[in-house]
Amino acid sequence: MAMKTQPRKGVYLQQFKEPALSREIRQFFNTSASEALVGSPVTKSPEELTPLEVIDIARQAGIVDERDGRPLYKKLEKARERGVKTVVVDALDDEPYVSSQLGVLLHLREEVSAGLKAAAMAAEAANKTIVVYKNLTDAEVRVPSSIDGVRVVRIGGKYPAESHIGRDLGLREGYVTLGVCSLVFLSRAITSGQMQKSAFITVAGNCIANPTNLEVSLGMSLSQVLERCGLADNPTRVVIGGSMTGISIMDTDKTLVSPTTRAVLAFREDEKERNYTCIGCGRCTASCPVGLDPMFIYRAVKSRRFSLLVPLRAAECVGCGTCSYVCPSKLPLSITIGKYRKTDGEEEE
Amino acid sequence: MQLIQRNAPHIRHSDNPKTLMGDMILTLLPLYVLAICFYGFRVLITMTVSVLSCWLCDMLCSLLRRRFFNFRDLSSIVTGLIIPLVMPATVPYYVVLFAGMFAICAVKHPFGGTGENLFNPAAGGIAFAAVCWPAKVFAYPVPFTTIPLWDTSSVLTVTSTAHTLKMGGLPSADLNDMVLGLVAGPVGAVSILVLLACLVYLSIRRTIPLVQPVCFLAAAALMAFAFPRADISRAYSVLYELMSGSLMFGAVFMLNDPVTSPKRTAARAIYGFAAGIVTMLFRYFGAFDHGFAFALLIMNALAEEFDYFMVVGAPKLFGSGRKGDAA
Repeated sequence: MAMKTQPRKGVYLQQFKEPALSREIRQFFNTSASEALVGSPVTKSPEELTPLEVIDIARQAGIVDERDGRPLYKKLEKARERGVKTVVVDALDDEPYVSSQLGVLLHLREEVSAGLKAAAMAAEAANKTIVVYKNLTDAEVRVPSSIDGVRVVRIGGKYPAESHIGRDLGLREGYVTLGVCSLVFLSRAITSGQMQKSAFITVAGNCIANPTNLEVSLGMSLSQVLERCGLADNPTRVVIGGSMTGISIMDTDKTLVSPTTRAVLAFREDEKERNYTCIGCGRCTASCPVGLDPMFIYRAVKSRRFSLLVPLRAAECVGCGTCSYVCPSKLPLSITIGKYRKTDGEEEE
Repeated sequence: MQLIQRNAPHIRHSDNPKTLMGDMILTLLPLYVLAICFYGFRVLITMTVSVLSCWLCDMLCSLLRRRFFNFRDLSSIVTGLIIPLVMPATVPYYVVLFAGMFAICAVKHPFGGTGENLFNPAAGGIAFAAVCWPAKVFAYPVPFTTIPLWDTSSVLTVTSTAHTLKMGGLPSADLNDMVLGLVAGPVGAVSILVLLACLVYLSIRRTIPLVQPVCFLAAAALMAFAFPRADISRAYSVLYELMSGSLMFGAVFMLNDPVTSPKRTAARAIYGFAAGIVTMLFRYFGAFDHGFAFALLIMNALAEEFDYFMVVGAPKLFGSGRKGDAA
């Protein structure tokens, strides 16, 4: 696999993944544990299943890929149609505080491995690769170089890494990226016929007394989740999703855990709005992973010169939030530009 | 639990405009300490006059334009600190006062104030002073002469190395003295060693992009190498041209003003290079000893074009310029 040596722009972020990452994944169900674990009886051993049976199991179990919110069986069907050669397992977690994918990979190795075997068989892909994030300096656990014979590749280093998986691996096409959590659910559906009734989430942030990775029942409210981990302080901002791209929510009682929820973060900040103006330092341009000029796009939008958006390639924005992160004046760059970017299409096409 | 809806990202880098400008101020202060050692406490008064003039004018203009005056905005203080450093120690107080006023009221605010100004305010103020009072701005006392606080007419002044070069004469200053700043010249622009240390510090802090001053100095050196003005060897010509006048000071503190320079790295490189050539042309053919401020003003007017060329022009000329985004 030839690695491309094109320099990648982006930004190094402090990860804040500990202590959640090294802790065992705890379960937090709103039904009794025995009820949650009951599934339909298994008729066949995993070795005897055909690819189509695996896809059918994924469909019946209602497994949703936590990366993009698409049903796993559809992704597998599509991968079969396209004749993909490689199954890439995404355990990246390139956003700070979030470790719900990497934690699952490290603590539930057997299930991930079994799920990956089944998924690769269903997609009829010969190669399997697991990708993790290179920038894990604060992790207290060691990431193995291979899991059950499957190579674990460290990519990126700079944020964002998630949108460049194929490029960093040197794969042009013929691969399908699956979230690591969906493989765990696939393995469970195959061995014990369970539906997907839970999601793996990280609960962290500077207000959380006990940051940890949880397996939470779907439909649990965020207040319950926050209560489970304990609030050390009153948060001013609760985020569902990662710290770079997540959505800030107003009502924790009415926001529920969904299959694509990867983290719940609670922050308290005393930082006030400072009303700074753009001083033109150019850090956004220097760090944009797509090579755009966020400040020019922002200025074009603010002065309503929308014809400039085409030459400035505003539609190519991936919405990673790097420009807003580095901006010394704390301008809302990415959210302003994001309105003019292409709607997220089907990936890998 | 009182939650506030905020936009992503939910974590931010700790730098803000105050830290950026604070870095600039931090690196300008050692130059003042050196200047006080060389010329006594008159420099401190010049500095105070200039800083107050800029800061008060900034506040006044914001008020007149009915804009919110941000007390955390230190950019006018940086402007105020830069102006006296390219003037001689004997400069009358009214010169820096009017230079500061011109910088803020005529160069900065008519274009929209902090972040919007087309031209570098300090360069504007310096150019204004040079045009109005050339006799007061281009005559320098020798280091270690204590300058009286008020009447400076009795102080013996000499012309700087930049002037000797301008006249086509042989520069007599010792190169070691020039590196250490022990020659007659602008207050803060002579200590080449300290200026280089400032450049290193600011580029490590990412307050200024290193590529821009490096290309600028390379272009200036190239010009000096190709066309020596005095009858000296080409290597000496390069050293004398780079270390005389306000060239090195400008390369560190004025050229890299974030507001008025291009944003893309490639555009910055070309901009720095072009600025170096224009500066040298001003030295060769201009009316004054050091033309950096004038060259910078011209380049400022074109800065946006460099970015425009990189964003719109270059992809048209050399293909899309984007590689490897197959997905």
